[in-house]
Amino acid sequence: MAIKVTINGKEYEGKHGETIRDVAKRNGIGIPVLCERAQIDPFGSCRICLVEQDKARYPVVACAAPVFDGIVVNTETELIKGLRKLDMELLFSNHFADCVAPCNLTCPAGIDIQGYVGLAANGEYPDAEKLIKQKVPFPGILGRVCPAPCQKECRRNLVDETVSIKFIKRFISDINFEKGTRYIPPVAPSSGKTVAIIGAGPAGMSCAYYLAQQGHQCTIIEKLPKAGGMTRYGIPDYRLPQKELDAEIAEIESLGVEFLYNTELGKDVTIDGLRRSFDAVFLAIGAHVSKSMGIPGEELDGVYQGIDFLREVKLGKKFDLGETVVVVGGGNTAIDAVRTSLRLGAKNCYIVYRRSRAEMPADPIEVHDAEEEGVQFHFLTNPVKIHGKKRMEAIESVRMELGEPDASGRRSPVVVKGSEFMIKADTIIMAIGQEPDVSCIGADCKVRTTKWSTFMINEETFQTDIPEVFAGGDAMRGPCTVVECIADGRNAATQIDRFLKGQELTPIPGVYSVQRGKSLKALKALEEEWKHRFPTEPRAEMPMLNPKKRIKSFVECEMGFTERELRRDAGRCLECGCFSQYDCELRQIGKAVGAEPTALKTKGEIRFESDLRHPFIMKDQNKCILCGACVRACDELHHVGAWGFVDRGYVTTVQPSFGVALQETDCEYCGTCVQN
Amino acid sequence: MKTLRVGYNSCGIAAGAEETLNKLHALLDGNSNFEIKKTGCNGMCYLEPIVDVIENGKIYTYGGLTSDKVEKFIESLEKGKHIDDWIILHPDHSTAQLSYQEKQVKLATKNIGVIDPENIDDYIAAAGYQALEKVLKTMNRQQVIDQVRASGLRGRGGAGFSCGMKWQFAKDAPGEEKYMICNGDEGDPGAFMDRSTLEGDPHGVIEGMTIGAYAVGAQVGFFYVRAEYPLAVKRLRLAIKQAEAKGYSGKNILGTGFNFSLHVIEGAGAFVCGEETALIASIEGKRGMPRTRPPFPATHGIWGKPTNNNNVETYANIPYIIREGGAAFSKYGTDMSKGTKVFALAGKIKRGGMIEVPMGITINEIVNDIGGGIINDGKCKAVQMGGPSGGCIPAHLHDTPIDYEKIMATGAIVGSGGMVFMDQGTCMVDIARYFLSFTVEESCGKCTFCRVGTKRMLEILERITAGEGTEEDIPLLQKLCDSIIKGSLCGLGQTAPNPVLTTLRYFRDEYEAHIREKKCPAKKCKALITYRVVADKCTGCTLCARTCPVGAASGERKQVHQIDDLKCTRCGFCKDACKFDAIVVE
Amino acid sequence: MEQPDLSYVDEVLNRYKGHKGTLITVLQQVQAHKGYLEKEALERVARSMGVPTARIYGVVTFYAQFRLTPVGKHLIRVCHGTACHVQNADGLTEAVEGELGLKTGETTPDMLFTVESVACLGCCSLAPVIMVGEKVYGKLSTDKVRKVIKEYQKMEKEVVQ
Repeated sequence: MAIKVTINGKEYEGKHGETIRDVAKRNGIGIPVLCERAQIDPFGSCRICLVEQDKARYPVVACAAPVFDGIVVNTETELIKGLRKLDMELLFSNHFADCVAPCNLTCPAGIDIQGYVGLAANGEYPDAEKLIKQKVPFPGILGRVCPAPCQKECRRNLVDETVSIKFIKRFISDINFEKGTRYIPPVAPSSGKTVAIIGAGPAGMSCAYYLAQQGHQCTIIEKLPKAGGMTRYGIPDYRLPQKELDAEIAEIESLGVEFLYNTELGKDVTIDGLRRSFDAVFLAIGAHVSKSMGIPGEELDGVYQGIDFLREVKLGKKFDLGETVVVVGGGNTAIDAVRTSLRLGAKNCYIVYRRSRAEMPADPIEVHDAEEEGVQFHFLTNPVKIHGKKRMEAIESVRMELGEPDASGRRSPVVVKGSEFMIKADTIIMAIGQEPDVSCIGADCKVRTTKWSTFMINEETFQTDIPEVFAGGDAMRGPCTVVECIADGRNAATQIDRFLKGQELTPIPGVYSVQRGKSLKALKALEEEWKHRFPTEPRAEMPMLNPKKRIKSFVECEMGFTERELRRDAGRCLECGCFSQYDCELRQIGKAVGAEPTALKTKGEIRFESDLRHPFIMKDQNKCILCGACVRACDELHHVGAWGFVDRGYVTTVQPSFGVALQETDCEYCGTCVQN
Repeated sequence: MKTLRVGYNSCGIAAGAEETLNKLHALLDGNSNFEIKKTGCNGMCYLEPIVDVIENGKIYTYGGLTSDKVEKFIESLEKGKHIDDWIILHPDHSTAQLSYQEKQVKLATKNIGVIDPENIDDYIAAAGYQALEKVLKTMNRQQVIDQVRASGLRGRGGAGFSCGMKWQFAKDAPGEEKYMICNGDEGDPGAFMDRSTLEGDPHGVIEGMTIGAYAVGAQVGFFYVRAEYPLAVKRLRLAIKQAEAKGYSGKNILGTGFNFSLHVIEGAGAFVCGEETALIASIEGKRGMPRTRPPFPATHGIWGKPTNNNNVETYANIPYIIREGGAAFSKYGTDMSKGTKVFALAGKIKRGGMIEVPMGITINEIVNDIGGGIINDGKCKAVQMGGPSGGCIPAHLHDTPIDYEKIMATGAIVGSGGMVFMDQGTCMVDIARYFLSFTVEESCGKCTFCRVGTKRMLEILERITAGEGTEEDIPLLQKLCDSIIKGSLCGLGQTAPNPVLTTLRYFRDEYEAHIREKKCPAKKCKALITYRVVADKCTGCTLCARTCPVGAASGERKQVHQIDDLKCTRCGFCKDACKFDAIVVE
Repeated sequence: MEQPDLSYVDEVLNRYKGHKGTLITVLQQVQAHKGYLEKEALERVARSMGVPTARIYGVVTFYAQFRLTPVGKHLIRVCHGTACHVQNADGLTEAVEGELGLKTGETTPDMLFTVESVACLGCCSLAPVIMVGEKVYGKLSTDKVRKVIKEYQKMEKEVVQ
C-alpha cells in the first residue's frame, strides 16, 4: 500500500517498512551515510544521516527512521547542515591520520611527492615522471635547485633524516632522459584561442605547458636570447647545466609553443598591441632589476650588481675580477655570485653579510658547498662606502649587532658605533635584493602595481585590472622560489583556460586533508616513539665533485645518485598519506559539508599504533569511526565474530578478543570486514 | 510489651545500625518485655541509626541511637521512662524534627520504616496484595489501565511519560509473549530513592509490577538492580520467594490462572543501562549500547517481544492507585503532574534523607521547611535536580513549584528525584565539569556526538577550571551543547549538556571569572586558588607541616608557619588539620 | 602452560543452562570466585554458550564491574557521587592514594589494597563516603579517612605477626 512521503517540499511514494533513506535514495535525494550497510540492520552510530522530521522532537536518522503516511522530512535545513558539519569535525578531531602527506601539502606546487617517491622506490621511473608532470613540467630543474620546503616537513626527520625528495626527483628526470622515456603529455585539438606569455622563465613556460595541453596556441615573448629566465640567467651552470635546461625547454616547444626571443615588452611589443592580437596575456617578467645599496663609490669600476653579474656571465661577457672579490648579501644570489667568482679565477672570495649565519636566507647546502670551496664569510658586517680612484680598491665597512626583530621576524642589525674598518678588494658584487621592472607595461596601462614594484592581481583568478591580462611568478609575488613560480604558472593556466572557454573563474581550492599535526614541530613529542618504531636507515649521500677540482670550471658539482642508492632512499618514505585518500567517504563527505578538518583537534586525541600482525588484514584504529560495520559484518553476515568492540565511551576500540592477533581468532580471512 | 523497631537499610547500617541491633539483641534476647524488629528507613537518614519504640499504640522515634547509647536507652525504657533529648518524633507533642515529616504525603513509601521488609506477613497486614487481589478478581486488563491513566501517574524514573499510556501501548502490541522490566539501575549519583524502596518495601514494587503485568499481558518480569545495591538485591530475592510461596507470584497467582514469574538481574556497572534499550541489550547479554527507535520497546523489546519498562517508584505507586482509585491519586499534585514524588535530599542540606511530597511543592519549601536549611547556616546557592541529565537551579528560582514542565522550563529536569544542594563553597563551573566527566566515563561510545562531543566539552571545562580558558570557549561550548542534544542517539547524550547549559545560563559570571580573571569565586578550582597561613592565628604547632604530603607547609616550632605556593598541591590537608583556623584559601 | 581448574566455571554454567538472558549473571558469578575473570574462564563461557569470544570480551570490557586482573584483598571504593563530590570526595581520594602510595585503579604490590572510584554508593546523607569491602564508612574527612586506612594496615600487620 503506497504512503505519502514529503521530502524537501516534494511528494513521493513510499512503502510500509521502508526508511526515509530508502525513499530518498530511490528518488535521487542525497543523504550522506557512513555506518549504513546493505544486509545489516541500521546501527545509527555515525549520525551523519540525520534529517528533520516534522513533529519529531529531535532530528532522526534517515537510515533507521521508518516512513509513515503523511511524514514530512527536510534534509537540507540550516540545522541539519550545521549538525553534519559538526559531526564530521568531531570525527576528524579524533582521527590521528593524514589524508594527504605533509610533503605534498607543503609543496607550493602540490606535487604528489609520496606518489612519485613510491613509484621510484619500485623502479617505475616513467610513471613517476608522469605523476610529477601533473603539477610541474621541470623535474630536472627542480631536482637541482629547489629549496625543498617539503624536506623540512618530511616526517622521516622524526626517525633519522628526511627522505631525499629533491635528489630523487632529479634522478627520475635524468634517467628518463637517459633511457629516452621522457613523458610528453598529449595535446588537445586546437581551441582556436591564442595566449601571449611575456617571459620565458619558469612561470611563463609552465603556464604555456599547461595551456598548450588544452589546445590553446601559446606564444612566449622573451627579452633575452634564450629561454629560462632566472633558471638560466640567474643560476650558475655548476648548479644547473644549461644543457639540462635546454632539454626541458625543448619539451615545452614540442607541444607547439612558439618562442620569440630578443623581443622586449615596452619596446618591441606593447600590452595593448598584444591584447589586440591575442585572446589573453600572461605577464611573467620576473624580477630582474637589482636593488642598489646606494652607498658612495658605486660608480667606480669593479662594482657590480649580483643578478646583472650572473646574467652577463651567461651571456658570455668576460670579467676582470682581480684577486679579491667581496659579495654583499646572504641569499642564494650572493652565494651564486661568490662561487661563480671563484670559478672565474678570483683567488680570495668573501661573503659580507649584515646579519649572522643563522639568519642567512641562502640554502644551507649552498653555504656549505661554498665554504668547502674556500669562500670565507664575514658576518655582522655592512659596507658603507667604496673607496678607489677609477677602479675600486677598498670597502669601508662597519660591524653590526643584532637588535629587535623587524617585520619579517628576523632580528634587525644595528650599527656598532665607531667600528669602521677597511676591507681591501678588487671587485664588489652587491646581491641584496631584486625587483620586477614594471615600467615595461607603459605609464598608461591600467594594470596596477604595488609599492614593491609588483603587479597587483585578484588572488583567486590571477587577473590584473584588465580581465584578459593575467600575472604571476616573481613579477607578481616579488622574488620567490622556482617552484612557487611554476605553481603560479599552472594555476594561472587553469584560470586562463576557463577564461578562454567563457567559464566562471572560481577560486582554485586548497587540498582538503585531515592531518596528524599542522607541522613537524607539532609532532616533535612523537620523536621518541617513532625512533623506536622505525629502524633507522641513513639518507643517501649525494656524491660531489672534489672542491679543489670543481672550482676550476662550471661543471655540475652534484653528480647524482646511483640507482641502488636512489631506491634505498626512496624506500625510506613512511607513506604518511592515507592509501584511501582518493575514495575515502569521510573525506568526500567532510568536504561536501564544509567541515574544517582541524576545527576541534585537541591534545585529547588518542594515538594508536597500527595493527599489522595479520598477513592480509591491517587495522589502523586511528582511522576508525566506530561505525561497527566490521564487527557486525563478521558477526551477523559471516557468523564468525572475530572482531568486537572493546571498552566503552571515548576510548572504545575495535579489536579481536583479548587483543590477540586476528589470525589467532576464528578469523577466516574472508575480508568481509575490509569490504565493509 | 514494647516493640523496638530498628531502621535497617544500607544507610542505617552505614551509620551504625548493625552495632545497635547487635547490642539490643545482646541485652534483650530472652526478655519477654521487648520485641526487636527490623525495618527500612523512614527517610530521616540524617539522624540514623533510628529506633522506634512502639508501646500502647504510640510510636516514639529515637534518632542517632548508636550502640554506645543502647545501655542507657534500655535502662530508661525498663524504668518506663523515655529520654526526651534523644526523641526526634514524639506521639504526644511536636518536635523540632516534625517539620521534616509534616509536608510529606507518603503514598509510595508509606510502608518504608514501618514494616519489616523481610517478612511478607508485615506487608500483608499493611493492606499488602489487596490491590493485586482486586485486580485479578474484579477488573479486566483495560480497566486497570484506565485507572492508571485516570491517576495521571507519569514515569518516575525521569522521563515522565504517562504510565497508563505506556501500558496501553504494550497491551495493544501484537504478540503473546510479553515482558515487564523494573528499572532499578538508579545510576544518578546523589539518588537513593529506589535503593531505599527496594530495601524497605520490596513487596510494594512486586505488587505494582505484577498488576502491570496483568494489564499488559506479560508472563515474565525482570528486576534490573545495580550491583552496588547488594542489600536491595538480597531483600528482593527473598521477597519474591516469599511471594511465590504464598501464591502472589509465579504460576497461577491467587488461583486465577495468571502466571507471572520474576527474576532479579544485577547490573554490571554501566549508567547507560538506565536507558531502556541499553537495559534490554544488557538483559540480552550484550554490551549496553542503546539502539535507534522506532521500533519502541513496547512493540519490540527483549528478544524482539513487546516489553514494558518502568522505574521502581512508578510501580510502587500502583497498589495505592488501585486500592483508592486513580482519582484519589490525582487529587495531589498539579494540572500536568499528578500525585506525589519521592526525592532524595543530599549535599549541603542540614537534613539529608528521603522524602515523598505532593507535586507542586516549591523548592524553597523543601530547602527550608523540610530540609532545615543549608549546613553551617549558609545560603543555598543552587539545587541540582535530575543528576547528570539535569541542571542547577539557582536560588532566585527556588519558588518554582516542582512539576515536570515547570522544572523543565528552568533548564533542569525533575529526573529520578535526586536533589543535591549547594552553597557558596561550590564552584558551578567545577560542577559542570564534574557532571561532564561522569558522562564521558559512562557514555557507551556508540554515537559520534555523545562519544566525541562530550569529551571535547570536558576538555574545554578542564581547561577553564585550570585557568586556561579563552573567550572562544563559551560560544564553542554553547554550540557543542546544542548539537549534542539534537544529534545524540539516546537520552544520555541528549541530556548530557544540561548541567553545562544551566550553569552557563545562571552562573555565567563564574565562567567569565575563570576565563578572564583566572579566578574561582567559590575558591574550589585548584589552579586558581592559593593556601595561606594567617599569621596572627598561627600558633606554630607544626601540625600542618607534619600533615603536608609535599613539604609545602613549613616552619619552626612556636613560629608562624608559611606555605610555599610553588610546592603546594592544594590538597587541603593542612586546612583540615589546623585546629586554629589559621589557614585560609584565596 | 597448565590450564587452570575451570570446574567452578562449569558449575555456574550448569546452573543457568537453558535460561535466556543470563550471560551477565553468569559472568558475575564466575567473577565472584576469584575476584576477577581469567582468560580461560571467559573462553569456556564463550564456547559453552555458543557466543563468539570477541563478543564476550566486548561485554566484559564494557561494564565497570568486570575485572580482568586480580584485585587486592581489600577493595576500597571512594564514592564520587554528586553529594560526595560536593563534600570533597576529591580530597578523600588524594588522601587514600597518598596513604597507600598508589593511584586510583591500582593495587598495592602486596595485593592487599585496591583503590577504585565509584559513581555513587547511594548513601548520600553520609557524604563523603568510602566502602572497604562491604563496609561503608561515612561522614569522613581527609584526616578520618587516613585513620581508617591505617587501621586496616595495622590489622594486616597483626595477621602476619
